[in-house]
Amino acid sequence: MGIVRTLAVKGATLLAVLFCVLLLTVVVVGATGLSDKILNAMMNEELRATRQKLATQIKDPEQLEQAMEKIKETLIVAYGLDKPWYVRMPNMLLRIITLDLGNAKTQQTFTGSIKVADIIMERFPNTILLMVTVLMINFILGLMVGVKVATKPGSILDRVLSLYSSISYALPTWWLGMILILIFSFYLRLFPFQGMRSTPPPADPIGSFLDLLWHSALPIITLVIALSGSWIYITRSIVITTAQEDFVTAARAKGFPEKLVLWRYIIRVAAPPILTNLILALPVYLGGAILTETVFGWPGMGLLYYNSIMAVDEALILALTYMYTLIYVACRFVLEILYIILDPRVRYK
Amino acid sequence: MSYLKESLSEFWASKVSKLGIIFLLVVIAVSIFTVATMPLDYGTRYWSNPRYWVENPKLAKPSWVNYFSTEKLLEHAVLPSEFSIPQFSGQYYLKNYFMNYELKVNQFPTFIMLRLENLTYYKSPPTVKLFIERPDNKTINLYTLNVEKPLSEEEPPFVRYADEPKRILLSGETTIAYALSSFLLTEYNLSTNPSEVMKMGYEKIIFGTLVNGSFQPLKGMYHIKVVLSSVDGRDNLGKVAFVVGGMIFGLMGTDSLGRDLFQGLLFGFPVALLIGFTTSVITTVIGAALGIVSGYVGGLVDDFIQRTADIINNFPQLPLLILLTFIFGGKLWIIMLVLVAFGWPSLTIILRSMVLSIKNAPFVESAVSMGASRLRIMLRHIFPQVAPYILSQMIFYTPSAILAEAGLSFLGLGDPSMPTWGQILEYGFKNGAVYLGYWWWILPPGILIVFSAVTFVLLALGLEPVVNPKLRRWR
Repeated sequence: MGIVRTLAVKGATLLAVLFCVLLLTVVVVGATGLSDKILNAMMNEELRATRQKLATQIKDPEQLEQAMEKIKETLIVAYGLDKPWYVRMPNMLLRIITLDLGNAKTQQTFTGSIKVADIIMERFPNTILLMVTVLMINFILGLMVGVKVATKPGSILDRVLSLYSSISYALPTWWLGMILILIFSFYLRLFPFQGMRSTPPPADPIGSFLDLLWHSALPIITLVIALSGSWIYITRSIVITTAQEDFVTAARAKGFPEKLVLWRYIIRVAAPPILTNLILALPVYLGGAILTETVFGWPGMGLLYYNSIMAVDEALILALTYMYTLIYVACRFVLEILYIILDPRVRYK
Repeated sequence: MSYLKESLSEFWASKVSKLGIIFLLVVIAVSIFTVATMPLDYGTRYWSNPRYWVENPKLAKPSWVNYFSTEKLLEHAVLPSEFSIPQFSGQYYLKNYFMNYELKVNQFPTFIMLRLENLTYYKSPPTVKLFIERPDNKTINLYTLNVEKPLSEEEPPFVRYADEPKRILLSGETTIAYALSSFLLTEYNLSTNPSEVMKMGYEKIIFGTLVNGSFQPLKGMYHIKVVLSSVDGRDNLGKVAFVVGGMIFGLMGTDSLGRDLFQGLLFGFPVALLIGFTTSVITTVIGAALGIVSGYVGGLVDDFIQRTADIINNFPQLPLLILLTFIFGGKLWIIMLVLVAFGWPSLTIILRSMVLSIKNAPFVESAVSMGASRLRIMLRHIFPQVAPYILSQMIFYTPSAILAEAGLSFLGLGDPSMPTWGQILEYGFKNGAVYLGYWWWILPPGILIVFSAVTFVLLALGLEPVVNPKLRRWR
């Protein structure tokens, strides 16, 4: 019962978050007249297509105009453009959820589609690939280094780590990316400047994988350097705090080997709060990934964000904001489940 | 009170906090200096006004690179002259302006420009002539400007180039090709047509000698003479300047528009401080007030505040920041408003749990029994207990506000009315500074962002043992 209830509460909160973000988006977009703009663009696109189709059937220009006028009227009603934005809100909400937002202005997919949904779906895996890789590396790195340092507080390594973590907290990920490109791509010519694959990409699967690895090296290194510092430091702090608990002292007094004390008495207890901090750090990862993709020309949704801002493409920006919220909520839910697995108190409540 | 004193001494004891305080003083001092010496509308009046920067070399490195390299680069030079030597040639009144330029390094200027200001004439339009006498005593009659005729309704004296000085980019003037073509013919017996001269580059011919078929820089003193010749003795030219475009400029170099990066970087200090400080103070005040009220008052108020905080706290920040600043426009106050709107909940949630544990402490209960009002208890008894934590959170939030603004600027959503470090970086990135190796454009703004953010991180770290006594033993 305990698990189900906790999961249900967490899930409900996250769904509420998703809904609130969507509501905020729809209200802002509606009240500023942006939704009219998007819907109008979609309607005009449809009108143009219909006109082309009709022009082959109706030869008389006057008749064509009349027919078009009628179609336009029905379309205005169909898109809800005759009603004020707050009446249209549920409809707009549904459109965002299904990414039914018409065509992009300048972007297109590899195969040439200009539909917002297609473009985003093409970019989505690339973003996930980068984010998940970095998240995993950082998680393992943070746990290993953080625990190692925590066993020797006040040592030189500890001091270096403190310095590193405070700098990495203050380091803009995207600027670090620029510096790495400057050093490793411009001066040393070791890594590519931009992109995810060479053009043309290698044909064999191994070569293709190595090519991807070569291109992703700098973005991953950037994100790991920028985001691991504070993460290691938090792990260290939590482990140190746990190490001072009475039950740890008691375990040591019993004469347990230090390794057993560390893993069973300290880390087992410190794991849930460490995970909590990973959950709290998630927005930072998301933000860092958006900006890093931009710097490295990584063809994910972050770069798409940047290009849409440059092209003032409202529909794409709207869709991307929704997608990032969705990713965030999904990641949160996975981590919450992990938390329940790690923390028995939640399970048996 | 003794608690506060103890906290202060604990804070001051660590080296980290001392370093943080020193850094903070530097940031504040530079900000005050900037606000005192630069106009507040610097951004719109100068920074985003390309005409203000036309005399500067584009993409010039900082001057100090010369100290580190064996091959010296040419320094940018503006040679002004306000005093003329009058002369009368029987027919024309001549006014001569002299400027000297010494070419010290083995390089050609990147461009040359002539600037004329405040020209007045009474009868017919005068002419302005430019001569350059080279170190080898050869003189080139480089350029002649015929001043515009008066308009039909205009009355003398006719004033020209008063509001906006006349700037002639000599490197792009086609007439100079003819002058240089004849110079080449007389000096080197080299016959060329104007388009060939243009291809060779004017600066190479003017500032060089022909050695084995190619031009080598001719070092030494160049005498530049500008002559105003007119038919009326009262005619005058207020100010003349000759600009020799260099490859290094100022303390921090220039960007692709010729803007002095040092000024932009300097202006970034007060802006960063303003963003960081204002955002974190407002965020903390709101977050702390709601947290204390939520914890102490409890009931429906508590529920409402906590649910709201829970939801907002879970918003993904950057995507929403992007959407809102995109829709409402990149004004600085909008960026700060959005940061505050998404920033307060985390403090509220933590403070509530802290207040819950203090709420039933004996000293609070004794205050209640003495009839103290709720407001008094929250302000006088609960607030001081959590004050160090609130302060540390305020300081901790400052760098994230600075970094968030920089990130938004980098995405092209910054406030265009003032230069910030993030915007300088964005402009550099957009112009390929990373791919072309313009390090002086990319490194300093980022270093300053890191510096200002590190300042507050150090302060927050110094406060950590105060807030979390468990960490004290290890320092």
